[in-house]
Amino acid sequence: MASDSPIASRKVVVHLRATGDAPILKQAKFKIAGTDRFSKVIDFLCRQLHRETLFVYVNSAFSPSPDELVNDLYDNFGFDGKLVVNYACSMAWG
Amino acid sequence: MQGGEKEAQRYVWDGAIPLQVHLHDSEVTTLPPPPPALILAPRIGYLPLLSSQLKPFFSGALPPGVDTIWFDYKGLPLKWYISTGVLFDLLCAEPERPWNLTVHFRGYPGNILIPCDGEDSVKWSYINSLKEAAYIIHGSSKNVMNMSQPDQVELWRSVMNGKLETYNRISSKLKLGIIEDDFSDKVNPSLKAPHTVNETEATTTLKTSRIPVRLYLCNTNQDFENLETVPPFETWDQISYINRPVELNKEGKYFTLYDAIKSILPEFFHPAAEEEGKDGVIKLVRIQGIEPKMEIPFSWVVNNLMNPDYFLHICVYINAGRPMGT
Repeated sequence: MASDSPIASRKVVVHLRATGDAPILKQAKFKIAGTDRFSKVIDFLCRQLHRETLFVYVNSAFSPSPDELVNDLYDNFGFDGKLVVNYACSMAWG
Repeated sequence: MQGGEKEAQRYVWDGAIPLQVHLHDSEVTTLPPPPPALILAPRIGYLPLLSSQLKPFFSGALPPGVDTIWFDYKGLPLKWYISTGVLFDLLCAEPERPWNLTVHFRGYPGNILIPCDGEDSVKWSYINSLKEAAYIIHGSSKNVMNMSQPDQVELWRSVMNGKLETYNRISSKLKLGIIEDDFSDKVNPSLKAPHTVNETEATTTLKTSRIPVRLYLCNTNQDFENLETVPPFETWDQISYINRPVELNKEGKYFTLYDAIKSILPEFFHPAAEEEGKDGVIKLVRIQGIEPKMEIPFSWVVNNLMNPDYFLHICVYINAGRPMGT
């Protein structure tokens, strides 16, 4: 259906926020295809920070499964046109 | 209906999958090779938690090295953070009993599976799922995050050990009890609030509930008549993982499982597709090992068949080459 296409091609704005002792990234905002999985965000952060493991959260609350679609996360937990993703080198919210 | 509800929830909690677990050939160093392990795996449990039973059984046959347990089914590495019952419902279109799985203690496929450090990882994943569900229901995870440490540990142990009473006692403190069961309302109409409510009361009761749902969608491109002929999955890419809450309006009309699935997957309920008749694109809907009738009230399904993480996990098989109308 025609109404499907805007969602299918939608880009989601992700705001990255360092938590605890995690280094702050130069570029804290980026766009990602809504059809990508959350694992892509995690991989991106791990590469940027040269770390094998990171704790990655949404809205300072919980870590989604890496399989979840960015579109679903944005629809469920996004606000003000963005998805807030927090990252930490050690567990921030147990 | 109160008794019936408890009974259904009890069935879910007591549900188990008989497993026949084989050690992968490449890890067998003894002659004769060890026999398969027969084990009952709780539906609401997670595969790595079986390690304490499987490791002693196979340790004598293993080559030297560090143990990291993982499983595969017909070559597909199994995601450890999906509960065993959901994996079985999803990957065995035609339920196989016992379910033949292969266990590995070496060669963890880190490119497919996220790392698992035993029980701690599984607990962490469960609590996160619970927080995510709370966020969907209340708009914040505070109730779960503010839980006392002993309560959190006890809640996790109740899930791990299948202790329903303890689970109900602790989880009730989270105030995630989501919806009224409109089926019970119909049986006991006297319990329903009278219709002569004033404006302010009406607006408060019109509140919409959001039900956390994880839906696993398999699109079998070929027509299959018999579930036995569905080929095994080769990669996880063949399964779409959809997380869309179902909005329930308490004052709305009678809301069925059909309505709920239609609200999650509208693209497969194109009017033209529905006109095609019974043989539509949805081939199979399975929740907690049962194939419920699509006409049953969604509230009953949620209250009785949800997992202990407050998500309702639904496995759906469809037969559509592509979404309708694209």
